[in-house]
Amino acid sequence: MTERFTIPIGPQHPALKEPAHFAFTVEGETVTSASVRLGYAHRGIEKAAETRTFIQDLYLMERVCGICSHIHASTFARAVEELAGVTVPPRARMIRTLVAELERIHSHLLWLGVAAHDAGFEALFMYSWRDRETIMAVLESLTGNRVNYSVNVLGGVKCDITPQLDTQIREAVDYLQERTEHYLHVVNTDRVFLKRTKGIGVMSTEQAIRWGVVGPLARASGVPRDIRVEAPYDAYADFPIDIVLDDAGDLAARFTVRLRELFETYRLIRALLDNLPEGDLTTRFPRRIKQAGEVIVRSEAPRGELFYFVRTEGGSSPSRVKVRTPTLPNMHSVLELAVGAQLADAPMILAGIDPCFSCNDRTSLIRRGGEQDIWSWEKLRQYGIEVYRA
Amino acid sequence: MLDDLFALLVFPGGLFVVVCGLVYMWLNRKLIARLQNRIGPRWFQPAADTMKLLGNEEIMPAGVDPVLFHLFPLLAAAGALTAALYVPLGGVNPAFSFEGDLIVTITLLGLLTLMTGLAGSLSADRFALVGANRTLTQLFSYEVPFLLALLGPALAAGSWQLQEILASHGGRWLLIMQPIGFVVAILGLLGKLELHPFDAPEANTEIVAGALTEYSGRGLALFYLSRGIELVIGLTLVSALYLGGIGSPLAFLAKTLGLLLGITLIEALMTRLRIDQTVSLWWRLMSVAVLVQLLIVVIVGRI
Repeated sequence: MTERFTIPIGPQHPALKEPAHFAFTVEGETVTSASVRLGYAHRGIEKAAETRTFIQDLYLMERVCGICSHIHASTFARAVEELAGVTVPPRARMIRTLVAELERIHSHLLWLGVAAHDAGFEALFMYSWRDRETIMAVLESLTGNRVNYSVNVLGGVKCDITPQLDTQIREAVDYLQERTEHYLHVVNTDRVFLKRTKGIGVMSTEQAIRWGVVGPLARASGVPRDIRVEAPYDAYADFPIDIVLDDAGDLAARFTVRLRELFETYRLIRALLDNLPEGDLTTRFPRRIKQAGEVIVRSEAPRGELFYFVRTEGGSSPSRVKVRTPTLPNMHSVLELAVGAQLADAPMILAGIDPCFSCNDRTSLIRRGGEQDIWSWEKLRQYGIEVYRA
Repeated sequence: MLDDLFALLVFPGGLFVVVCGLVYMWLNRKLIARLQNRIGPRWFQPAADTMKLLGNEEIMPAGVDPVLFHLFPLLAAAGALTAALYVPLGGVNPAFSFEGDLIVTITLLGLLTLMTGLAGSLSADRFALVGANRTLTQLFSYEVPFLLALLGPALAAGSWQLQEILASHGGRWLLIMQPIGFVVAILGLLGKLELHPFDAPEANTEIVAGALTEYSGRGLALFYLSRGIELVIGLTLVSALYLGGIGSPLAFLAKTLGLLLGITLIEALMTRLRIDQTVSLWWRLMSVAVLVQLLIVVIVGRI
């Protein structure tokens, strides 16, 4: 069969947990071109942030992503603290890092399940999500919430590690370490599963650098790119991590990199618990920021580099907040890698970048009528200037 | 006359095989759920699903031929129900029997897949078209090895009639003498029922519901029921041919349930294969293996 079809994946489709539209043109079963349309879940968060105070924004930013919520809130908090010239107490910095790493475990296990489901490996999906509950329970005991933990306040953190919690976290980490070893064994040895991952969606190191991919996706192609190492923040300066790399660049490598990263995380969590200093959880934060200023802050979210730009004219609210989530730089690689792949592999290549669409959707252009409308850089810049003139 | 009607409507055809199908489907779903650390459905869930579907409005996509749209599910169900008359369901001798009924049964079983494929290609839905394409591709890859695997015992007995084959083997377990044929038959059954790892034709993360995407209400219910019936008939055929004939009904029930457990284990352990991988597995490995098996049967003679 050589007829050409365009298979629409989305905006509503069983493979997608969030709305996005992919159009895969196929000849028989081979994908010949791919395009994407994002923006279905655009919520106007950046604009909303400008009309609220920094404290309100902290809660708003936590809701950019439903999976990696803490990293958004803590990155925003770091940006505002830098603008105000406030230094966070060491214990609070350690707890922020600790929660960020706990969140990484939960995010990676969630991804493992979703990716396995896309490959049709339901058993792995169910088991990894069962084990993820361990970490959800820990986060709930620690913060009171399973998602959107609200650990941060401007100038510190809200929750403390009690001896009881210390034991609970250690037990959870021990259990999960054992489970992760098992999963790593499964994804590396299950021959039928390897048929679906080995050599599929291969991205070379050069391609990874050229397309500017970030996070575990880049590391699975042998690019040592990790903000925790490149620009250590919070506790990462004192407790460095080893970058986990794989040169294969295929789907199998993306599985192993994410799972092996978890061992680094487990080690780091134990080290943080062992060396937690005594001290305050918060420091005094001024009600108003005195001077105008702007700041760029980056963190390593579970999916890769998270970028925040915050500007203020002084006072109690920002005049501009820009968020770039790791899905955006990674998205391009899907379109490139899907071409030439089998249709059956396309959802897996997409799942391989661990997409998070609603975090990623920053703008939405509604196109009426059929005409294509591509904005040039100049037009975009002019538009920005006009919007922010007021 | 009354006997024939009874055989058609109550046992072994009709009511019995439908109820059996629902129970086996439930067992399959429940077992797989327990293996995947889930609770699974309650015992009446497949029946409830079917009844609800039968009561639902049937939506017909624009532009399809209404006669064919309604005919395909009916033919699929009719094929499956007719096949039930020629197999020793429940360990009881088949209701009807004639020379060559084994071939007729296998052909009737193939009708469901064929109808699914045709039903999918009827609409302009792209998921259904790709699904239909995959369904038919898969049909052409597993059907021949599956047929050959079931012919192994027939060749050994020197007859094409199920009852005679079973009588000639007299309760011997052909699994021991023709292990390759048995494995191919079991995998063929998985392919026929589009179960893991051969469920590429309805891979929901790619093509939603495959060939049946546009079906709802009664049509979908009939396809669903036919699949359950085929599960029962397939298990019955394989256990009759390979696991020591029919024997007592209770022992036979135990054998089919054992086979069902085996199938479910394979299903739970496997990742979905791509359609090209499925085809290459069947043509490069399975068909060669089953031919070797047949060669052994022919050379060694009537074992």
